[in-house]
Amino acid sequence: MGSGFKTGGGQGSIFNIQRFCVHDGPGIRTTVFMKGCPLRCQWCANPESQQPGPILITRDVKCVSCGKCVEVCPTGAISFDQNKRRIIDWELCNQCLKCAEVCLYGSLGGCGKTIGAEELVAELLKDEPFFKRSGGGVTISGGEPLVQPEFVLGLVEALRAKDIHVALDTSGYAPAEVFARLADNVDLVLFDIKHLNDQKHRQFTGVGNQKILANASYAAGHVRTWFRMPVIPGFNDSPEYVRQVAALCSDLKVEKISLLPYHEGGKTKFQQIGRTYLLPDVLPPADEHIQLLQNIFAEAGVQTSVQR
Amino acid sequence: MAFNPEEIKSKLVVKAVRNVRKGMAKDDASRGMYRPEVKMDLSRSRLITESYKMTDGMPMVMRRAKAMDHILNNMPIYILDWERIVGNQAESPDALYFGIDMNWRSVKRVVSGEEGKTLLDDAGRQEMAQLIEYWKGKSMSDRQQSAFTGDVLKYWHYDGTMLWSHWSEQGVPDYEKILQGGLRGIIKEAEEKLDELDRTVPLGYIDKKEFLQSVIIVMNAALNFARRYAALAREMAQQTPDEDRKKRLLEIAETCEWVPENPARTLVEAIQSFYFIYLIRYLEYSTLGIGIRFDKVFGPYYEADLASGAITRKEALELLQLLWVKIHEIGLIYSPTLSGIYGGVASLQAITIGGVDEQGRDVTNEMTYLVLETAETMRSLEPSIVLRYHDKTPDELLARSVDTLATGIGYPSIFNDKSLIPMLEKWGVSPDRARDYCVSGCVYIEVPGANVTRRAAGGLALAKCMWWALHRGVDPKTGEQRGARTTDPNTWTSEEDVLNAYFEQVRFFFDKFTKIENTCRELYRKYLPRPFYSGIMTEGIQKAQDCRKWTDPHRLESFVVIMGVTNAADSITAIKKLVFDDKTVSMAELLQALENNWEGYADLRQMAVNAPKFGNDDDYADDIAVKVHHGTSDVLAEFTDQWGFPWKGDGSGVSGTYGLAFDCGATPDGRVLGQPFADATLSPIQGGDSNGPTAVLKSASKISTSRTYNHLLNQKFLPQYVRGDMKPVFVDYLRTWGDLEISHIQFNIVDRQTLVKAQRNPEEYSDLIVRVAGYSAYFVDLSKGLQDSIIARTEQAF
Repeated sequence: MGSGFKTGGGQGSIFNIQRFCVHDGPGIRTTVFMKGCPLRCQWCANPESQQPGPILITRDVKCVSCGKCVEVCPTGAISFDQNKRRIIDWELCNQCLKCAEVCLYGSLGGCGKTIGAEELVAELLKDEPFFKRSGGGVTISGGEPLVQPEFVLGLVEALRAKDIHVALDTSGYAPAEVFARLADNVDLVLFDIKHLNDQKHRQFTGVGNQKILANASYAAGHVRTWFRMPVIPGFNDSPEYVRQVAALCSDLKVEKISLLPYHEGGKTKFQQIGRTYLLPDVLPPADEHIQLLQNIFAEAGVQTSVQR
Repeated sequence: MAFNPEEIKSKLVVKAVRNVRKGMAKDDASRGMYRPEVKMDLSRSRLITESYKMTDGMPMVMRRAKAMDHILNNMPIYILDWERIVGNQAESPDALYFGIDMNWRSVKRVVSGEEGKTLLDDAGRQEMAQLIEYWKGKSMSDRQQSAFTGDVLKYWHYDGTMLWSHWSEQGVPDYEKILQGGLRGIIKEAEEKLDELDRTVPLGYIDKKEFLQSVIIVMNAALNFARRYAALAREMAQQTPDEDRKKRLLEIAETCEWVPENPARTLVEAIQSFYFIYLIRYLEYSTLGIGIRFDKVFGPYYEADLASGAITRKEALELLQLLWVKIHEIGLIYSPTLSGIYGGVASLQAITIGGVDEQGRDVTNEMTYLVLETAETMRSLEPSIVLRYHDKTPDELLARSVDTLATGIGYPSIFNDKSLIPMLEKWGVSPDRARDYCVSGCVYIEVPGANVTRRAAGGLALAKCMWWALHRGVDPKTGEQRGARTTDPNTWTSEEDVLNAYFEQVRFFFDKFTKIENTCRELYRKYLPRPFYSGIMTEGIQKAQDCRKWTDPHRLESFVVIMGVTNAADSITAIKKLVFDDKTVSMAELLQALENNWEGYADLRQMAVNAPKFGNDDDYADDIAVKVHHGTSDVLAEFTDQWGFPWKGDGSGVSGTYGLAFDCGATPDGRVLGQPFADATLSPIQGGDSNGPTAVLKSASKISTSRTYNHLLNQKFLPQYVRGDMKPVFVDYLRTWGDLEISHIQFNIVDRQTLVKAQRNPEEYSDLIVRVAGYSAYFVDLSKGLQDSIIARTEQAF
């Protein structure tokens, strides 16, 4: 088995299971979002996924100002202003989630939970009839699934033993042997190519891209691979840059690349977990621009899809 | 002579009734019950009254036949400029049928009050008053009221638990046989049967003879009705200088001289013959929608005409579009109370396409696709299209149906042969006839040609039965013991205790229900024979009796529309979760909260809302829903109708899930007084499903169709999810729905924003169609409350 992998059971940390996903691989799929990510992408649409453990997430519109949270908060992080608006002092919050336990209205919630492999598999198999009809299956996403390699590998094996098509949606940021071990066992890898320039990559995601590009190359050579590219205006959307990506796709013979135009979905989420959004002034790219980028890929003979 | 589709579409007349009641309370009643251009026609009422006065003392079946003869020979008829298919049930295209022989009291109130004063002018109101003088004590509703005594009378009075729609009887004729033999064939069969009776003089000789003589009278009247159109067309053809028009009129004349008397030879003749039969059924007996397996019946005529060059596809499309306009002309007058149940309905006419034939072969043909194209180009309220699905439904047909759905008109609704055929077989229908089922009304399942007389006997609010269980059958306002004296909720310790109390209430009220219905059936048998309808059913002539006096194994008559079943189930789940399992609240406190309509109990209500709900593929809630559905079905089946057939539930809740909920107090699922019930038997409560559309289907699939009844399931998707790349995914989703053997599904493909805008600016959205229950309606004709309940449906996205 090597690399210290222990599979078959154990506990994993996830933050969501979403059924009827149709953009995360072929057919109708159920996507499990693993918790924890070593990257800190500034545009991240799921910043609540980055920490490995459960964290507090707030939805102010659902607050009825009942004040139960104030009563249970051990650090005094929660208060209400004169307009009965809840204020959270995130510096004081110790992420104990006691407030989430008492909130009946879904205004304070815990994001993330640990789950046993068996229970998770049972949950992921619920839509099996849909997978069979549509050629779909399960996609393991995140967060970054490679952060929990043993659990994820066990999960993959359990699913494949039941003849379920498994896709791995990854940033590719992991040691080569960990990546290879997982990639070899899935039916499809959805691989994020955020930036080809190491410096830029480091600047906007907090990590360099060398391991990532090596793993991308491995994936493309060993398993069915689709690239995915978040299109972030001013970061990776210039035609000159995209030509390089197209050349890479073409060199590695990846089946296709999905363009994910930037959206502001992450903005609210950062607020909801008490963090500052670092890309405040970026607007979603225009449809025409996305079309232009698609044309670049087409010229290089690379198939594209756009996921909004 | 071709018209453009927009021109044809402009001929559609909207006769949908607006819901002006929720329970007994007014609901946006100042809008009026109909659009202002709709008028009431008294000609049928006038003619039937004249005839009844002349036939006093004759056998009832003969009186009905002679009344039809008088109506069909004297009704004002018209042929409009653009028509190719002719026939009318009222004096003008914008006029409504009124069955004075059924019920005049509520109609009189309607036309005298704000809600319907535009329907008649003063002279009309005066004439109506004179006609009513004759019907006092003789109309069906008068006879019912004098026949109801004791308990039946007590429970006939509406309290929010049960509601009646006695008048509605469906029944799909065996059109294939009728079109092949013509009405002449039926007359001949009746004459031969009369000869046989004369030779044998069997038991019931006189009754049978009178029945057959009545059939011959009414069939001849039907032939004469057609000849009147032929004569009118010839006369008009002589007068018109327009060559196109002359040609059209001469074609009408030739067609009406040949059918419905003789076997149809062409598509035009087949459709004209069908339309006469269809219309005469409505004229004989006021009813909600009747159905037809349109592609199965007309496909062979169409394909033969295409092959012989008698018609082109374009011409056939236009013919169907013109037929759609005629079908749209059929409307009904409702009572204000019933408008609360039939909000937005004209007459619930349905056309079935696809599915298998008697031998199990797929019936899809060229006509199937032509129907969908007609539906898309006409975008009309009626007829609603029903697609029968089975494993061999061609991908092309499914994909084409999704295109039609994508236009947002709410149809085709999809019915699953894989669960409905076994259900029918379990009900005793032979396999070949089960495979031939047809849908009428919204989700009524029928066997063409069988003695169906399918009656939507009325509705039963199951959430209200749950409410009675919480109150031990006592009305808290009056202290009256109205329901069953069930166990004290404070003594309940398990879900079984709650289920038993609930089932006991269902049993108690349903017992009253069946007694009321049986009383009505006796009255119908005595006073409302249907010689025309009886004559066109497969065995009608051989039985030589009115349809209500004999039965066959395929009879699917005794149904009760059930509403609020998900609310009943989720209420039990909430009690289990909060009181028995988590013990977060005592039963006494929960009852107190319900008594106060949750006021002052916001947290407790939220806990009830947070309790597991049906529709999330969560066994905690779904297991209870299964027990409620299966158990309710068992309780209904404890009661047999007068033929010995067990009673069945029915998912055709129409808008009653909104209207009837008005009189049901707070329930443990978190519902407040008056809040609408879940919108269909398989639908989660509004906003109760949060795991997406596949989870809804998985939950629904846990309820066995053959253990229960035909169901209804509404889903709402955004338009982008049925187009482009997403279309194949949507088709796979539908096929999985089929694999899961869920009996029904239908869609609103519309975004919330559009609905909200339409509510604010109705004049800009007069054409916007939405799916309500088993039917589509113009959104702007619905009351604000009913609109809100549609907006509140969970929007599925992915």
